[in-house]
Amino acid sequence: MSPAETERHRCFLRLFTAHEPAVRAHVRRLVPARADADDVMQEISVVLWEKFDAFRQGEDFRRWAFGVARFEVLAWLRDKGRDRLVLDEEVVAKLAEETAADEPRLERQREALEVCVGKVPREQRDLLMRAYEPESRIQEVAQSSGRSVAGFYQWLHRMRRMLLDCVRRAAGQEVNG
Amino acid sequence: MKVKEELESLIGAYVDGKIDEPGLERLNALLRRDAESRRVFAELLNVDSALAALAADWTAVRQPPRRGWAFHPVITAAAACVALAFGGWWWARSTAPFATVMEAAGCPGWVEDAELRGERCEIKAGTMSLRTARGARLVIEAPAEFSFESAQRIRVRRGRLAAEVPPTAKGFTVITPTGDAIDLGTRFGVDVPLAGAAEVHVFEGEVIAKAAGATEKQSLRGGDAVSFGEHVHTVRELRTSAFIQPDEMPGLSAGLAAGQRARSEAALAVLRRDPDLIALFDFEAPEPLPGVYRRVQGRWPGSHAPEFVGVGDHLKLDVGGLRSWPRLTLAAWVRLDRLGAPYQSLLHTDGWGKDRPGQVHWMITELTTMRLALYANQLAPGAEETHGYPDSRTSVLPEQGRWVHLVVVYDCEAGTVRFFFNGRFDKETLQSVANPARLGPAQIGNWDRHDRKLSGRVDELILLGRAMSDEEVRALFEAGTPYR
Repeated sequence: MSPAETERHRCFLRLFTAHEPAVRAHVRRLVPARADADDVMQEISVVLWEKFDAFRQGEDFRRWAFGVARFEVLAWLRDKGRDRLVLDEEVVAKLAEETAADEPRLERQREALEVCVGKVPREQRDLLMRAYEPESRIQEVAQSSGRSVAGFYQWLHRMRRMLLDCVRRAAGQEVNG
Repeated sequence: MKVKEELESLIGAYVDGKIDEPGLERLNALLRRDAESRRVFAELLNVDSALAALAADWTAVRQPPRRGWAFHPVITAAAACVALAFGGWWWARSTAPFATVMEAAGCPGWVEDAELRGERCEIKAGTMSLRTARGARLVIEAPAEFSFESAQRIRVRRGRLAAEVPPTAKGFTVITPTGDAIDLGTRFGVDVPLAGAAEVHVFEGEVIAKAAGATEKQSLRGGDAVSFGEHVHTVRELRTSAFIQPDEMPGLSAGLAAGQRARSEAALAVLRRDPDLIALFDFEAPEPLPGVYRRVQGRWPGSHAPEFVGVGDHLKLDVGGLRSWPRLTLAAWVRLDRLGAPYQSLLHTDGWGKDRPGQVHWMITELTTMRLALYANQLAPGAEETHGYPDSRTSVLPEQGRWVHLVVVYDCEAGTVRFFFNGRFDKETLQSVANPARLGPAQIGNWDRHDRKLSGRVDELILLGRAMSDEEVRALFEAGTPYR
């Protein structure tokens, strides 16, 4: 690599590193499963680098990356939609647009999550983290909690709902309904 | 209220991948028509991704249960890693590193405390110890290429890795091109050669092995070893010491830091000028010596040593010619993998017969002692040995899995065979019949008649046509030891 190339590469890495969690969360909101988000993120990271020439210094990297992400997610959905249950393109496009605009609030909620999870009793917190850790096996986690798999999924829904209430409050949001 | 509950239940099923087609249709309909529904949807998925990020970090720092457990400030959001490929560069990120370099002994370009995430790593020389975020200790020996996929997964393309996995890191997985090893709380090693099947060696505990493409997994216990064939596992002989273990690292690092390599080279330079030198093999010549063996790292970062693994492995040499040697010193740095085989050859001249009295066989016996057998020699009356040949008193057993310096000094006029371990005199055996030693065509690590394969590596073999003094042997060891 020439010195200019190296510098450009460094610059990209700095920006990408800073915004990757937000881009990933954005993608997660648009695809059915967390593993799908990993898939699409790989693609997006490559495209961002390839198109980095078109990115102007001083521009909003996150906004630019969200645009690339939206395009890649829609392409991915079109590809996978034939044999997977995915949301309508129209719905996803709306979600992409609205959540990109709402990202500052959503980011505050994500930041608040750690505090909220910290308030969950130890045993339940362990279960929750085990259910979400990479390569987790829900059946095993369910079993060790003494619940049926269906019952465990119900419990997970309740936990997410409860945590959403908490992060809304913690992020200075009103509690709805 | 009803709609809100229905919406949340549908979102739950969607997030968990449990939604059916009618459910998805309904969810689509609700989201399409109502911005508030989309807002709840986005928020719940936002919580979902933040939970995943938190869990990845949480598992990374999870410790055995302790009282008053609270979230550590280092736990922040986002940890799942994406390997990112562009222009041959691999790179990945997460807020928490997957592993940290503890020691880098002779690894150019590597520093201690370096944090590894998903980047592609290469160690050209030396040995590196790492600690994963979940507390597994790894030692990787060069030449190696690898990358972490998470604190719990390492992909090894090439190299030798020893792992010590505490309960906190149970499930730690080593992925190789030919198969995977999943740890269940144990000590094990994985050897990934540049070409051919990777091997898994379990020193202690249990490991699940799965060859690439295989449907069956295999549970391996301490003492088991397999190589990954095409969809199958082939049983191997356990080679504990093919792997540098975590407890060996501090000594190796300190040795390098203390300049042992330079001392060793200086000592060899002096020996090379010794008029009585018959041969000195440091195994560094660019053209490999003839034979069947693996060329692996020697005592020093980036140096070379032959390693004998399979039945019949050997290295051929032909030194010393037809003349006889009234005095002979044999010295070698050896790293023994396993012991207890009837005989393991250090140096065996070809054949064993009447026509060549004094021909030399130098070996490790099944009692793990050192033996120097010269054809037609006889033990003096009253000798301790019961097998007819001079044997050392000390066993090499305590040195198994580490580099050990073995020396034997023969003097036919004095009728003595003197053994040395790591520079220390072990014992002298007297011979009543003592022929001058003969060399000529020979093998290192085996014998041309029966398999007497040495299990391990040999580095720096010296044949000297005079008797080294005790002081010289000690100095040779001290100059050449890689440890401090």
